[in-house]
Amino acid sequence: MRTFIYVAPPSIEDAIGELRRGEARPLAGGTDLLPQLREGRRNADRIVDLKRIAELSAIRPLPQGGLAIGAAASATSVARHDLVAARYPAIAASARLLGSVQVQNRASLGGNVCNAAPSADVVPALICHEASAQIAGAAGRRNTPLDEFFAGPGRTVLEADEVLTALWLAAVPPRSATTYLRFTPRREMDIAIVGVAVRIDLAEDRSIALARVALASVGPTPVRAVSTERLLRGNRLDRDLSVAAATAAANADARPISDTRASADYRRALVEVLVRRGLAACARTLDIASELR
Amino acid sequence: MNLDPTGAPTAELKVIGKRLARVDALERVTGQAIYPADLKLPGMVHAKILRSPLAHARIRGIDSTRAQALKGVLAVVTAADFPALPVGSTIPMGETGYDMWMVAAINMARDKVHWVGQPVAAVAAVDVHTAAAALALIAVDYEPLEPVLGILAAMAPEAPVLHEHVFTKGIEPRPRAPSNVCSRVVISRGDASAALQDADASARVRVEVDTAHQGYLEPQVAMAQVDANGFATVWASTQGQFTAELMIARMLGLPASKLKVVPLEIGGGFGGKIAIHGEAVAVRLAQKCQRPVKLVLTREEVLQGGSGPAAGALIDVAVAAQKDGGLRAIEGTYRMDAGGLPGMSPSLLMQASAALYQCPNLSLEGYDVVTNKPRTEAYRGPGGIQAAFAVEQAMDMLCQKLGMDPLEFRQRNASVTGGLMPIGTPFPAIGLDTILEAVGRHRCWTEPLAPGAYPRGRGLALGYWRGTSMTSAAHITIAGDGRPMVTMGAVDLSGTRSTMAQVVAEEFGLAIEDVHVQTGDSKSVGYSDGAAGSRVARTMTAALVEACADALRQLRMRAAEKLQSAPELLHYADAVFRAPQPSGAAISLAELMQATLTDGAVVGRGVSSKLPLGVEIGAHVCDVEVDTDSGLVTILRYTAFQDVGLALNPIAVEGQIEGSVVQGLGWALLEGFDYGPDGRLRNASLLDYRMPTALDVPRIESVIIETPVPNVPYGVRGVGEVPIVPPAAAVANAIARAVGVRVCHMPMTPERVLAAIRAAPGRPDVS
Amino acid sequence: MKTLLACTINAEAHTVLVDVRDTLLDLVRERIGLTGSKEGCGNGNCGTCTVLLDGAAVNACLVLALEVAGREVVTIEGVARVGELHPIQSALVESGGTQCGFCTPGIVLAAKALLDTNADPSEQDIRQAIAGNLCRCTGYGKIVDAIATAAARLRETET
Repeated sequence: MRTFIYVAPPSIEDAIGELRRGEARPLAGGTDLLPQLREGRRNADRIVDLKRIAELSAIRPLPQGGLAIGAAASATSVARHDLVAARYPAIAASARLLGSVQVQNRASLGGNVCNAAPSADVVPALICHEASAQIAGAAGRRNTPLDEFFAGPGRTVLEADEVLTALWLAAVPPRSATTYLRFTPRREMDIAIVGVAVRIDLAEDRSIALARVALASVGPTPVRAVSTERLLRGNRLDRDLSVAAATAAANADARPISDTRASADYRRALVEVLVRRGLAACARTLDIASELR
Repeated sequence: MNLDPTGAPTAELKVIGKRLARVDALERVTGQAIYPADLKLPGMVHAKILRSPLAHARIRGIDSTRAQALKGVLAVVTAADFPALPVGSTIPMGETGYDMWMVAAINMARDKVHWVGQPVAAVAAVDVHTAAAALALIAVDYEPLEPVLGILAAMAPEAPVLHEHVFTKGIEPRPRAPSNVCSRVVISRGDASAALQDADASARVRVEVDTAHQGYLEPQVAMAQVDANGFATVWASTQGQFTAELMIARMLGLPASKLKVVPLEIGGGFGGKIAIHGEAVAVRLAQKCQRPVKLVLTREEVLQGGSGPAAGALIDVAVAAQKDGGLRAIEGTYRMDAGGLPGMSPSLLMQASAALYQCPNLSLEGYDVVTNKPRTEAYRGPGGIQAAFAVEQAMDMLCQKLGMDPLEFRQRNASVTGGLMPIGTPFPAIGLDTILEAVGRHRCWTEPLAPGAYPRGRGLALGYWRGTSMTSAAHITIAGDGRPMVTMGAVDLSGTRSTMAQVVAEEFGLAIEDVHVQTGDSKSVGYSDGAAGSRVARTMTAALVEACADALRQLRMRAAEKLQSAPELLHYADAVFRAPQPSGAAISLAELMQATLTDGAVVGRGVSSKLPLGVEIGAHVCDVEVDTDSGLVTILRYTAFQDVGLALNPIAVEGQIEGSVVQGLGWALLEGFDYGPDGRLRNASLLDYRMPTALDVPRIESVIIETPVPNVPYGVRGVGEVPIVPPAAAVANAIARAVGVRVCHMPMTPERVLAAIRAAPGRPDVS
Repeated sequence: MKTLLACTINAEAHTVLVDVRDTLLDLVRERIGLTGSKEGCGNGNCGTCTVLLDGAAVNACLVLALEVAGREVVTIEGVARVGELHPIQSALVESGGTQCGFCTPGIVLAAKALLDTNADPSEQDIRQAIAGNLCRCTGYGKIVDAIATAAARLRETET
């Protein structure tokens, strides 16, 4: 490992200043960055520790409704937070999938997002909740929808001197359910072979007012399953629609590759399975499960 | 003396057989136990190894001048720093010795590399960062050669030959051309081929097994220090300090008298720490720079060619029986992937796969084949689980064809004491029928499977292993307070400090707390072979029984003098010598030693050599649920029945069984090396090499059966190896009963299980 | 590059010279000499380096030493009180939940973190809490038993 300078600035502005100097990398939980440095997969001559900046770890309701999750808040703090557990249970569940208890105590949602692995477990549920990435940089503040945040495996739209400060989630209307399911061969300490988040909001007549489906590990970036969403929107959720949606997700939206963890065919098969299960889970929460039989 | 001439106890046991806590548990739970990586010596420097990035290549030259010039680098070594050992050079070990040409190649490649990760150079530097930077400055000129990666590819006549000096052993007349097939073994009797044709029912299976790793949590570590006299001390994570000493000495061209190896705590070995992996390199570096050298392997190095994993395999088995269930034939072709250097003879695994069956016709052919992957080493019953994955599935398929209960089939054909082993010698006492009977009575077999959300099934599989005895030595000194202080020659790999304390306590009539047991280094105790082959507990028991008798004889002489009685008239019990009536005078060991300590030491010695072997037998029952949408297999219940001869400590025995079973389940469902076409391991981390976590396995229930081995003190059998043998087959048989398909590729990952389900004819549509 | 670091390890204040690249594991093992925490993999996949950082279980190999400035670390050496084992430690001794011992320090800390916040864990809770700690020797059964026993004993002493 090359040597580096370690700084722990007290404010976002200071952090941005540091990120502009040399080959700098921000540090939150370190659960991705430290192994990368150790194995030479990433280099840094400056490490900017974000954990002394209180704002970056705060979880607070937004005045306009919804929730702001500080990018550096640990997965454990997110999963345990009352508002997350009550209103965004899929986010809490995703946070608990970031790894072992030891990893959850350190890893942050912001880190998981910015590491930008296609398998990132928190991203699909965040996309379903219409997450907006709040960004601060030398040029000022900006934001972008999370499903437009990823540029490729391991790459985001952040400039070198920008940092993700928070993820803003939209308020959740009544008659809404979101689920995140992933498949791993081990029950713990594993990377998702496939991850699927499904969100269903029902209209008064119990047709689907809003559908969001996001997939992990089936493309170079997290995938928003737009064909699947289009199929679901406006219809009543029944068995045939569930099957059609699952097929669309697997064949039209997912673009998996074969690698050491799984073949593309197996990933497609799992997308089908998990979309169906995700829809069934949402249906149970929305009390329309009988329509799926 | 507590034992009769057959080795059976004559009185009720007071310490042996009790559920006692390990004597060394306290230092483990408080973090005080010292492993080699915990050592620091003044002036210590750090070593790192440069490893081949290529799977098959000639080394044209190595230029380390830039590395040597780097500030903070103290020494650099390559193969040029070690004597070239002739092919056929061996060190003594057991009956066959251990090939030193191979050990040298594993530790420092000479002229050619045969796998990614094989060492080609090493440096010692003031810190690990400088050492790593120095590696990058060593220039190695490779001439790449075509790698051979698959077993069948390596066996093909046109395959590139890895070793020009390897000619297939076991073929007459001796072949004239070198081959990647290092040895061929044939075990046969009768006419299996004809029997297969004539029998009422037959079953055939081909299985493929991916290479797996022993998965010890502590990577290999060596600390080497050379003193002003040129005497080297090596602290190492090793299963055998004497074997390590012989290997290091030969590899360095050092007389064995100039070297000692000190075993510290070892964080798991399971067969993977018998051969040295860096110790000799550390010594050579220490000789060159005259500083203590510490070498710690990283996990990536351990997985990516820096250690010896367990052999992958391609095995074909056919079995046949009459409709009354009488087994008629077993035919098998066992192809073992040795990795980059010749491996072990397949003979034992072949025997193991057939041993538990009375079968008149056998035709077993085994091959040890080299490929451009790390040279494989032992892993708990090496070859056993792979062979059982084939044979036990074939037997189960036969049962399905016959419509016969798998337990009844095993009982019908079970080997018995005195029956013929595969190689034709008669079986010593085995309790297979007792084990099978215990299975039949147990709830795990009699209780039907409760239905679940997905299909469920129950599988049975047997396992056999024959360890080894070799030699063990120990001595006992009696301390000034009368307590026995034991120094044993074998490394404590399975808790033998504790079980041997129980043996000595029993022999002396003391409590376990009164006995102190330590493992000696290679210069402070008699030669003992390493902790392997399930041999230590029983052979060290035998050595210690002898040592206790020797010490007690000396003590008896002293007591006789003190009590003014003839030695043979004294009665000894519970650490007290008592003269017969009318005197009745008594003296305790404590009093005796207090009075006579300075008259001379009391030292008892014992050696065990080639102790008669007790075989290890297990029968496992496994319930699974198969998620037919994803292929995920959940183990619902697992029960392991095993004959241990006599359980010196049931907690320790259960611990060995439970741990070994979980290793087997790991290889059955999760663990396998994934090599790319360039021979590089693609899952060289504990993230992607998936060992079971606490959430992946249920509680393992062990049922201990005791059929003592005759003519062996206390009748103890080896325990630790056979539990890993049945699990993959037990799971596969359970899957077959659940979903009607055979999964024939280990590990049976969810993807492979789903593919097998979907490939099966007549599969109902998914939606 | 070396820097001075002030931190608290096992309730003792330390001021140590560290290399900026040192992890918390390097800090406790190499700079301070507390070798009870182990390195099994170096990248957070085995749990043998588990320590408590401000009471939370973490993999010390994934924390930079400099990140613990001013914070409190508890290693295995800080679990027992002088002359008195923590119930998890004595339960592991009794149940046979330690064999080679390499995973044991990490397991003790992970279990302690569980019992510090959950006095009555189910078997599932226990397995979840130690899912980040690989054990290759025991198959986990006796470890789980020990943690359940320790939880029961702690509940007894509370009442």
